[in-house]
Parts: sequence; C-alpha cells; structure tokens
Amino acid sequence: MFPANPDCGKLFNEMDWSGTPLGPREDWSVELKTLTSVMLGSLQPMLIVWGPHQTTLYNDGYAAMCGQRHPAAFGHSFRALWHDIWDAVEPIITDAYEGLGTSMDDIEFTMHRNGYPEETHFAFSYTPVRDPWGTVLGMFCACTEITTQVMVRRAERTQRERFRQVFELSPGGIAMLVGPNHVFDYANEEYYSMIGVGRDIIGKTVAEAVAEVVRQGFVDILDGVYRTGESFIARNMPIELNRGPDGEMQRRLIDLSYQAMRQEDGTISGILVQARDVTEPRAEEASRELLSHELGHRLKNQLAMVQAIASQTLRNAPDIASARQRLSERLAVLSAAHDTILEGGRGSSTVRQLVEQMTDLHDDPSAPRFLTSGPNLKIGSRPSLSLSLILHELATNAVKHGALSVPTGSVDLRWRVVLPEANRFEMIWTESGGPTVVEPVVKGSGSRLISAGLNGTSDGRAEITYAPEGLRCIVTADLESFQREH
Amino acid sequence: MDDHPRHSPVLVVEDDGLIRMDLADALSDLGLAVIEAGNADQALKVMDTLPAISALFTDIDMPGSMNGLQLAHLVASRNPACPLVIISGRYNPADGTLPQGAVFLSKPISERLLKRTLAALKLIAGDAR
Repeated sequence: MFPANPDCGKLFNEMDWSGTPLGPREDWSVELKTLTSVMLGSLQPMLIVWGPHQTTLYNDGYAAMCGQRHPAAFGHSFRALWHDIWDAVEPIITDAYEGLGTSMDDIEFTMHRNGYPEETHFAFSYTPVRDPWGTVLGMFCACTEITTQVMVRRAERTQRERFRQVFELSPGGIAMLVGPNHVFDYANEEYYSMIGVGRDIIGKTVAEAVAEVVRQGFVDILDGVYRTGESFIARNMPIELNRGPDGEMQRRLIDLSYQAMRQEDGTISGILVQARDVTEPRAEEASRELLSHELGHRLKNQLAMVQAIASQTLRNAPDIASARQRLSERLAVLSAAHDTILEGGRGSSTVRQLVEQMTDLHDDPSAPRFLTSGPNLKIGSRPSLSLSLILHELATNAVKHGALSVPTGSVDLRWRVVLPEANRFEMIWTESGGPTVVEPVVKGSGSRLISAGLNGTSDGRAEITYAPEGLRCIVTADLESFQREH
Repeated sequence: MDDHPRHSPVLVVEDDGLIRMDLADALSDLGLAVIEAGNADQALKVMDTLPAISALFTDIDMPGSMNGLQLAHLVASRNPACPLVIISGRYNPADGTLPQGAVFLSKPISERLLKRTLAALKLIAGDAR
C-alpha cells in the first residue's frame, strides 16, 4: 500500500492506534490524515510529531536516521526517541508547538543503511501545522540529505588547506596579487621574510605595501604582465627593500618570476609572484670563484719557486747524483713548511715551528749542537717557505763545511723583534767551534738561495758574513710584511 | 753565445727573490746584462741611474706604490720603443690592460718560451717561432 516506504507503511497499517494518544485512525483530523499520506508516499525522509503528547510518526527514510531506535520509537513520544539529545531537540520542538518554524542546515548522523557505519548529513526544517483556527496541532518535518555536498565542500577545504601548506612549505617566497592594481591576496612566510618580517601587505596594493619597489620599476613590470599575460622571469636581479629590523633599506639580489593567473574564461585575474633571495648564495659563489682563482695563482707561484730552486740546484751542482739529492731535500723542506701552514690554517705558522723543523732534522737531542732562543712569532705563508729554506741551507752548509762538521762546534740561533720601533724582524745564525772559515771563491747554490732573502717581505735581506771564527748570517725584514698573509 | 753584453741592461722587477734570481740568471746566460729590482719603486730609482734599459721584465703583483702593470705603462709612456714583458701567475690580462706591444708570460716560464720571446723582441739572435 505504501511502496515508497514498505517498512514504516506496514508498521503504520498494523499499529493499534486506538491504544495511543492519537486515537483510532478514522477519528484523525484531516490535517493528520493528509500529512501521513504525504509522508508515507515520499522518498524524502519525513517526520510528523503530533498532538500534545508529541506522538511520533516517520517514514523509512527517517527510520534510517533513528538506527536501533527504530521500530520501537514508531508511534511513541518524540522525547523517548531523542532522550539522549533532548537538551538540543526540546527547544526547537517547543518553538514549533508555539508556532515558530526552525530550519537546520547540517545535522550529522551515523547511519547503517549500507551495512556499515556511515557519516551522513541532513538539512531539516520543523514546520508547525495548524488547524483552520490557528491552533498548532503538531509539527511536520521534511529532511534533505546533504551528505554529498558536505563531503565535496570538505574535500575542497582539505585541498585548499593542502595547497596553502604547499605554498607555506615552499623554500621560495610566494605571493598572489589580484586585480589590475596588484592587491596582495596571499603571501607565504618566506615572502614576508624576504620583504621584511611584520610588514602589513594583505589587502593592499604593491605600490602601497612595498612602496620602495615602485621607483625601481617593478610595478611597471607587473602592469606589463597583467596586460599581456606574458611571464616575467629574471635571475640575480638587484632590488632595494626596506627589510631591515627598523625598516631600513637593504640591497639584495633575487631570482624573480611574475606569472599571470587566469580565470576559467581566460581573462587575467591576478599575478603569481615567486621570488627567492639569492644574495648569500651568489656571494658565496663569488668568493668560491675568487678562492679558486687565488689558489691557481698560488700554485703557479709555487711552481715558479720550485722551478727557480731546481734550476739553481742544477746550475751549481758538481754532478747529477748530488743535484738530485739536494733538490729532493730542498723540496722536502718546502713540503714540511707547507704542512705547518696547513696544520693550523693560514697564518698560523710561527718562527719557532720552522726552527724546530730544522733542528729535528739536523740536531741530536742526546748531544744538542743548537742553542735557540726567540719569541713565538707569527710568520706569513710566503716568508715561512723562504725562512725554512734559508735555515735548511745554513744547517746543510754547517754540517758539510762549518761548525757542525766537527764534534766541538755549535750553532747559536736567536731571533727577535728589533726595539725600540718594534717594526723589524731579525734572526742571527752564529757558528762557533768549527774549522776556520774562509770565504768561498765560487758561491754554491745554498748561499745563492739564502741571498734571495725572505719572499713576500718588503726590505727583506739575508746576509752571510764569513768571519774566521765562525759563519754568521743575519736575516732581517720589515715586521708587518713578515707577518702578513697575502 | 757572446759573453759580453752588447746592449744596455735589461731590468728585471720581481718581488720574489728566488724567482728574480733565476730569471736574472737565465737572461745573463743568454748574454744579456741584467739589473734587478724588488718592486716598482726600486725599479724607478734604478732607471734614474741608468742612461737606458734595453727591456723591462716585470711581475704584476708587487708591494709598493704601484704594481707591475702601472710600472709598464709608465715605462711605455717614457720610452715607447722599450720592449715590455709582463709576467704573472695571477692574470690573463684582458685586451687593453697591457701597454701596446707588451708581451704577457704566465709563470712559470719555460726556457724555450723565454728564448723565443727574447728573439721576437730582437734582444737575442735566433728563431722567434
């Protein structure tokens, strides 16, 4: 009899209404008869609450919202049906009985209509039903399921949130401008940190919010992109931004793109701004380039120095075997001096370290031949290579021909900063107790290498005196250039 | 090779004593008279005491009031005919930074290249190729 609502239609027909406050069906008012017939003929969920006892009738659609409470609730009081949420329901049903309709946009139910719990959403309207004299007889409610719309809205919200996160997480600055005057609609954290944290830009035009870029031509570029739809992309673009802690101007370099954003019909509605502050990375690249240039220069100078040492060695050698040995010793000394430079970083070599490198090689700790004294003075890289070589040549010569060629001889090595001006370095090598010294007629490669002095110093000199009681060598240089890193 | 220099001396300006010594040795081995200076300021003083130099060999990076490039420009302005050889480990100088006609050599300089350069500048006899 009620094909649209077989379940509730059967209940309705089989119910003994005379035992309820509504009384036998044939005595029902025309309003109730009409509404029940509409309800049981409808596929839309419907509910009738009737009479002072709020007797409840509903169709199959509504029954699904009642869950386990159906079928027991059918024909009983509305309060018994919704006792657990009566605090929420009572005011609106009371309003309806007092003649006030209520509509509710979104009520959530967990329904089992498909065999598993399912989130559903409905819109309700409680409508008072009156007799011809205006007395409220009951309430009629038609429900509309809005689950699909709610889910779509929720998915859209989730997606919007996801896109917002994508923009927030982007390592670059992103801003969205709308309209021909380029009003900020959105900007991510990175964009704020680029233009200056705490600037108030949303809802303002670029010209108002970031006024300093107007005279730099950026608004003209935006106008062009908005007008033509052609993207603007630039790298290493200089820009002045009032981004300092007190809003002071700073010069930065940015990679920048402006891209037109279009509506469905293709008309341009705004501009997507993507920008990245590349000031620091570009500065790093430049300094890396400078460093590699500098390394190349140093290497070529080192090769020139090795070339000079090699040719000096070969030029003055008695034979190839001794040339080979002297050259390898000299290169080993340079290599050790380099180690000292590298160990503690540039500029960390000291005169004492270089002296110790020499005595490690030429002195005997059990019977010391060297007496050394002097301050722990810093020495620049270039002079340190020369000084190592000079000390090596002096020691080699002393072992071969000088004080260290006999058991009784010794070397006094002292260095100091010359007072009172304290602007010159001085080192004095004095041999004693050796054979009587005679100035050689032909100078060997050792004394020639010594006479080349301290590389990298201004006014650096190394002078050998062939005193009969012992060879003496004085090495001096201007202190500032002696200690400077080049 | 003639043991007696036939020209005015060549001036070698280089702040690295070893490299200067070696270049001076190589040049005098080729029969040239050589005067050495440790920087541009010394070089100017040396030139004041000489009637002429037959060529200038100068490093670029040096301490003092001017670098080797500035010295070369100064010498070129005083004596446009003086051969100039600029030597450095640092620069491959761009066109226009060297005085006109100056030769650039990159450190370290091979003996062969040095001979060829001297021959091209007509400082020694030989093949300039």
